Amino acid sequence: MEPELLGEYLPVFARAAWLTLWVGLTGIVCAVVVGLACAVVQHFRVPFARQLVSAYIELSRNTPLVVQLFFLYFGLPKLGIVLSSATCAIVGLAFLGGSYMAEAIRSGLEAVDDGQSQSALALGLSRGLTLRHVVLPQAVALAMPAFTANIIFLIKETSVVSIVALPDLMYVAKDLIGTDYNTREALTLLVAFYLVILLPISLGAGKLEKKVRYAAFGS
Amino acid sequence: MSTTLKRLAIGAVTSALLLGGLAGCGGNPSSNSSNSFNTLEQIQAAGTVKIGVFFDKAPFGSQDSTGTFVGYDIVYGERIGQDLGVEVEWVPVEAASRVAFLETGKVDIILANFTVTAERAEKVDFLNPYLKVSLGVVSPESGVITDISQLSGKDVIVVKGTTAETYLEANNPEIKLTKFEQYTEATSALLDGRGAAWVTDNTEALAWSLQNPGFTTGITTLGPQDTIAGAVTKGNTTLLKWLNDELVTLGTENFFHKDFDLTLKPVYGDAVSPDDLVVEGGKV
Repeated sequence: MEPELLGEYLPVFARAAWLTLWVGLTGIVCAVVVGLACAVVQHFRVPFARQLVSAYIELSRNTPLVVQLFFLYFGLPKLGIVLSSATCAIVGLAFLGGSYMAEAIRSGLEAVDDGQSQSALALGLSRGLTLRHVVLPQAVALAMPAFTANIIFLIKETSVVSIVALPDLMYVAKDLIGTDYNTREALTLLVAFYLVILLPISLGAGKLEKKVRYAAFGS
Repeated sequence: MSTTLKRLAIGAVTSALLLGGLAGCGGNPSSNSSNSFNTLEQIQAAGTVKIGVFFDKAPFGSQDSTGTFVGYDIVYGERIGQDLGVEVEWVPVEAASRVAFLETGKVDIILANFTVTAERAEKVDFLNPYLKVSLGVVSPESGVITDISQLSGKDVIVVKGTTAETYLEANNPEIKLTKFEQYTEATSALLDGRGAAWVTDNTEALAWSLQNPGFTTGITTLGPQDTIAGAVTKGNTTLLKWLNDELVTLGTENFFHKDFDLTLKPVYGDAVSPDDLVVEGGKV
């Protein structure tokens, strides 16, 4: 291992880390929006839309992100739609993450015992107040571990976006290995940078889970 | 100890161990102790030689519809196997992973259109050459590139770990490179209009533009003339010597001219003369 090489590669990796984080977080925000919409449709059993959402969730959860990205980047141009690398990556993450988020949120909503809302209604709370003060806090607490696991999962999934020529961490590592052949230095920085991104998120998630747990029934 | 602290400690210890392990591997960069390879005797005793070839770079190395490897490099590799008296196991490789496959002993020989460069020669042992090459620039007929200056500020497609990438980064930093890992990805991107041009070996450029209407090789020679050679793991001298002797034998038969007629002529037609590409006996 040559330390001066690590110093030389550091700025390249730092730039790539920003891109990884930016693409990852934008993708996650979009995934949460998609997931929320799908969970609401499923929870309130909206006719027709419900079947559509189920089909989407099965399609999204049972195809790998690499395949989805290939379709977006190399497939759509054959239909005349040319999306940029970054757009493909974000759309891909939102498409994949949306279904995972939907399932996490839905499981939270469904896990709240029916007796809870019935009791609240019996005590005279309106439907809106019941949802806001009784059902949602408990649902959020129950869904949080799955939700944060999804966030970490999606950031890790960004490691395949280099196939659509987006210069993320994986892309620069492979590029440096392919041109300079300093495999050890490049791989060391690759591992280090993923840890720098993911460890704080993982720790923050643990704290957040604890914070919302107060609302969980029986704990 | 709180859970958060515990997790932080575990994370820090694990990463320190991991990084320490990687650093340990490089303790002595001058030694080749990390390279493992099979000597000539070991290959002959095992009865199999593993040859790393391209699987998507017709007409040099590609797979046909039945999955059989075909092309100029394959014909050469088959002959090596025959003369060694062993079976050939084909190992598909990508451009950027050719050095790593040799360093880790995953293949015995690389015959994947491997251009000889000084940086690569520090990591692997090249045989004497069997082809000569420079770079070529493929562009759509609607916007033919005939001079490299036309590419300034435009997106240009390259494959990672190729001489095209290194050459353009060193000599034309004003060009924006879009890099792919596989040739099929690079050519798909070119077909989809994701770049003004694709820069690659001129052998490959000419072959591809002849096969794909609407595209042309506007620049047929760019950069210095290089040679293409097989390679073995650094330090595998017994195999290296045998293969270089083999090249001399093949030269007396004009083997590579026959190989050209068999695999390259159907593609190039009369656009390329065999003497422009082929090197016989390992001597340019």
